[in-house]
Order: sequence, then structure tokens, then C-alpha cells
Amino acid sequence: MPRSLRRTVGGVSDNRTFEELLSTVLDPAFRLAMTMLNDRTAAEDAVQEAAVKAWRSFGRFRAGAEMRPWFLTIVANECRSARRSRWWHVWRFPEIAPHSIADESSADRIDLDKALGRLAPQHLLVLSLYYHLDLPITEVARVLGCSEGAARQRVHRALAALRPGMKLEVDT
Amino acid sequence: MTPDERELRRALDARSGAPSPDFGARVGKALSAGQQHPNLMPAVAAFVVAVLTVATVGVLVYTRSSRPPSHVGPASASRTTSPAPSPPGPYYPTTTQLSAPSHNVVWAFVADTFLYVSTDRGDAWAQRALPAVEGGGPLEVSFVDANHGWLSVPGIPETQCNAAGIAIWHTSDGARTWERLTTTGIADRQCKQGLSFTDARHGFISGWDDNNPPVVYRTADGGLTWKASAPIPDPPGFKTSGGGDALRVHQVWGSGGAYLMTAYGTQPTGGRAYVFRSGDGGATWTYAADVPNPAVSVAFITASHWLQVGAPGQSVETTDGGKSWHAYASDYSQAAPIAPEVVFGDAMVGYATVRGAIQRTVDGGLHWTPIRAPGT
Repeated sequence: MPRSLRRTVGGVSDNRTFEELLSTVLDPAFRLAMTMLNDRTAAEDAVQEAAVKAWRSFGRFRAGAEMRPWFLTIVANECRSARRSRWWHVWRFPEIAPHSIADESSADRIDLDKALGRLAPQHLLVLSLYYHLDLPITEVARVLGCSEGAARQRVHRALAALRPGMKLEVDT
Repeated sequence: MTPDERELRRALDARSGAPSPDFGARVGKALSAGQQHPNLMPAVAAFVVAVLTVATVGVLVYTRSSRPPSHVGPASASRTTSPAPSPPGPYYPTTTQLSAPSHNVVWAFVADTFLYVSTDRGDAWAQRALPAVEGGGPLEVSFVDANHGWLSVPGIPETQCNAAGIAIWHTSDGARTWERLTTTGIADRQCKQGLSFTDARHGFISGWDDNNPPVVYRTADGGLTWKASAPIPDPPGFKTSGGGDALRVHQVWGSGGAYLMTAYGTQPTGGRAYVFRSGDGGATWTYAADVPNPAVSVAFITASHWLQVGAPGQSVETTDGGKSWHAYASDYSQAAPIAPEVVFGDAMVGYATVRGAIQRTVDGGLHWTPIRAPGT
């Protein structure tokens, strides 16, 4: 039987089922998992496991809380677990989009793609949340479980680890 | 938006992509399976507790009325009653850990949720119980026979695995009941991984993080007290540095007082894998050999005979403890483009698993045949 979420958002009653809420966040969840794991099947596995765990924990989901940061936190934990499990990082057929020979500044691109591939998972996570999923810094902080200031620091640290001297702006 | 930011977004996009067309349906099926399983647990547990309570009271009343008790043992507060195996089974593909303690016995821990045992090398599986636990990382099991086993439940890790707790459970009746052990000696610092017991008393689990060398905790009393090894030294050509370039060690294999384990790590030039050896019960570990293909797990058959079972034409073995490796004529093959996890129960019987599918060899790894996945 589907679980209903009975809560009030902005004065409006929200009785959507878990499945309905989940469907709205599956896409960003998959994109986050792909960024962290760089393997379609592993990413799908991680999101699937996260969905099952989220359903089991749905009773602890706070009324008034937002589904997206809550679920992305679980997905991020699943991805960390997958990366910690044996041999994940040496899967031999990583799914990296092929580059066109005619691409401009292809050397820079290859360097950046390689740098992303070597980036520690905690840095990949924060970059994916902020620059790939375009989450506001407040939501990034909620997924990471830290303050907004700490989240900004983590973005800066991840950028420094990715490519020293990179010029990007982080919301203040 | 700066050019750098555009470029970063493009690079992140390039790592992403669309899920398979049937992904949504697959998640729906997994939810259907997952929703029914945990819902039964409290009801079944409550029913078992109620039955046991009534039975216990009945027995006590009967005993009192008939004769005085000769002995009343202490209550075991931490022992859990075993919930009955709950349908439905796992939804494949999923993760499966195998523990093969002997020629005939093999355990399969599927999807971090379902535990199965086979006493006929995987021809028939029986589902067993697990305690109701929720970990912050992957649960791990290790069995030394058809009865004695351990389950590790890692806590939620701090950033970069600077710290994470661990709970260890033990069963001595073939996973019909579990008891949480009151452990001492395992520090909070570092994440924990690689639970492995080599007999009913001797076990290991490693501590690792993204910035420091790992350590290996060892126990000689079945998991109650633990001691940390000296930090695992950097092997030749490997340098531990911050941000993820650190070693992680795997399950320990042991025989006759000699212990072996694999360790892997990344360097700026790519992944590396090594074998370490301990001759002092796990107090110190020394580099033993490089692993030729870091993409493939190492199965220890004896102290000097190790196998790497991979795609056709890629399997290799060493019979001199890693000094030299040569091709091994294994017919193992699979559709999934990832390396299998391989464990051997003895020199002849072994199992390889990928995404829950299991193949078995009974001739030391030369020939492999698929066996039925547990719960299917």
C-alpha cells in the first residue's frame, strides 16, 4: 500500500504518496549518482537502493521538509558506499561521453574530464550539487549536513582540488 | 557565468546522462519488493516475542508447580529472536556478498537485506534471519562454517571518513539468532571495512580514511576485544596523500598462522592493487607483491597460490606468492563489464558473483557454470 505524506506546505495540504514525491526527484538523483560513480548501471543501482531505504525511513521524514535534499542525501550516501565497496573504481568500461575531434579547446576539456575522474568523492558531490544540479547553496548545505558557510567553503575546496586557479563565483 | 564555470558545467554534464528506459519501472518493482519485506518484520517479531513469552511463562508455571528449578541461567538481553524469512526475495540485479568457509558451505548476503546459506555448494539456498539494523555504509558478513558468523554494521561516516562507528553482531546457530557484541579496542577514527574471520576466534576489520594509511584491527576472542595493527606501510611506488590517494584494504585470508590481504588505492596515474602479508597474527603487515590487474579481485587459494579470474583470456595465477604471474586457462565469462568478486571455499570450489548472478567452479577455477541466485 502506498504511503501518503500528510503535511501542509504553504497552507496547502499535501497528500501525495511516496511514489509521487519520489518521481519528482529521480532525475536529479540519477544525475548526481552518475557524476559520482560515472557508470550508468552503478548509478541506477545506487538510486534504486536509495529509493528503498528512503521508503523504509519515510516515517522519519519531517513534515514540512523538502523531499529533494532529503533524498539526495540518501543517494549521496549510497554513492559513497558504492565507491567504498571493493573494486568499484576499477570497472573497466567507464561511461564517459566521447569527445569530438573537432571540439574546440579539446585538450583543456580532456584535462578537466580527467581531473573530475580523479576527484575525491566528497568534492565530486559538492560540485555536482552546486554546478550540475544547480541547487541553491542553502539546499547544498542541507544535503551536506552543514552550515551555508561551510558549504561555500567546500565548494571552494572542491574547485581548488579540481583545478587550481579556476575562476568561478559562489553565491554569497 | 565565467568561461571556467561553463566548462565545468559541460564537464559535469559529460559525466552524466539519461537512465535506462526501464529505470523508473525497475525502481517501482524494487519499491514493491522492499515495501513488503520490512513491513512484516515488526509483526513477525512481535508474534515471536508473544509466543515465546507465553511459552516461557507456561514452562515456568509448570516447572514451579512440579518441582523446584535446578538452575536458572542469566537472561541474554542482547540476543534477538529471529524473524522468519520474509517474502518476497531480492530483486535482481543487486549486490551480493559471498562467504565460502568450506567445500560445501557458502553464504550469500543479497542487497544488504537478505541472507542465505547453502550446504551443497549453492544448489539449494535457505533464507536466514538478520537483526534489524541500519548502517551508514555497506553491511558485511563473514562466516567460518554453517553456524558461526559475524555481521558488521558501520555507522554514518564523517567527512572524508575521518570517523565512523561500527557495531558487530555474532551468530552461533546459523543465523537463526544474532547477538550484538560489546566490543572494545576499535577506535572511532576512520571508516571500517573488510570484516573477515578466519576461524571462530580470529577476525579482522580495517580502518581507513581518505588521507592516512589504513590499519587492520584484529581479534583473537571471537570479536569482543580488538587491537589495531601498525599503519599499513606504503608499498613500492605508492604514496599516501590527502584527498583520496590512500590505501584501502580488503578481507584477510588466513591459513596456518599466515595471513594475506589485498589493498588498493588510487594514484594520479591510476588504480593500484597490492598484496600484504602478516606473520605475527596481524600486528604488522608487510608488502608482498603487486597485483597485475587492479581491476580484478584476488582469490587466495593457498599461501602461495593466488588467482585473478577475469574476462576470457585475462585470468592469471601465481604459484610463488606473487613473484611471478602467468596466464590461467579459465573459461569464466559474463555479460556485465565489471570484475567479479571471487571467493574460494577450498582449493577446488569457488564462486564468482557480479550484480547478484553467481557462477561456481569445482575444479579450482578452470571451468565455471552459473548457479541459481538465492531467492529466485
